[in-house]
Amino acid sequence: MNRLENELRNAMRREEPPEGFAGRVLARTQETKQGAWTGIFASRSLRWALAGAMCLALAVAGIEHKRAQDERARGEAAKQQLMLALRITADKLQIAQEKVQQHSSSWTY
Amino acid sequence: MENIAAIEMAAEGRMDFAEMVHAHQSRVFSIAYHFLHDRALAEEVAQDVFLQLHRALPSLKSEAHITAWLCKVTSHRCIDYARRRRQDLELDSIAEPATRTPPGDPLMARRLQRVVASLPPKARIVIVLRYQEDLEPEEIARVLGWRLNTVKSQLQRSLSILRDKLGRALGEIAS
Repeated sequence: MNRLENELRNAMRREEPPEGFAGRVLARTQETKQGAWTGIFASRSLRWALAGAMCLALAVAGIEHKRAQDERARGEAAKQQLMLALRITADKLQIAQEKVQQHSSSWTY
Repeated sequence: MENIAAIEMAAEGRMDFAEMVHAHQSRVFSIAYHFLHDRALAEEVAQDVFLQLHRALPSLKSEAHITAWLCKVTSHRCIDYARRRRQDLELDSIAEPATRTPPGDPLMARRLQRVVASLPPKARIVIVLRYQEDLEPEEIARVLGWRLNTVKSQLQRSLSILRDKLGRALGEIAS
């Protein structure tokens, strides 16, 4: 080994970190644990993304609610139409039955 | 030996993370310090490395694995930092280190630290790992994920630059 390498080993000796280094590392690990969720909300871009996602979710929910209401209304209208058609059919049947009865009684005499 | 046993226990989840930080803090801090030549920056990098270790701990199986992991992550963080800052510093812009005087020739040690800090990032980290951590070129290649020839050429290049700069500055060790 030459002198340069000896001098390098001497110059590159390990240094102790500043006082309290380990304590600061441990404090940061605790902060990381506690702030994992709050950290998400602390980020401005993520806050905007969450707000956007909530707006989108509300819009989708509103559209879905409106679609369900329209579908219910259409169903109700179809039901009313069916009831009306049945009523008309029943009336027509009633009239037809009465005519048949009248006709058959005139043949009897 | 106490350190090794403690680290093995920590890897198995039986030791406090604090003890692991104490066991490795001088290694991690010194790699960053010798690379960045700034104690505040070195502490910042070292803290980030330990926070990353805290998250990665479940995947690290042994003392050797943890040591290699710490060297690798610290080295890459330092190189990334230097690239972001384009920190190939001119020798004159590097301050004298605010640190305790190393044994031996203190003037030479300080001058060497400044010259090492002025090397290009790859050459600098190879010198730090070789002479601070006493790693062989094969081990450095494994830690950094580089080819052995790359490590050897960076080492030769660094030593050549150091001889050149120190030879001119002091006229003492141009051997």
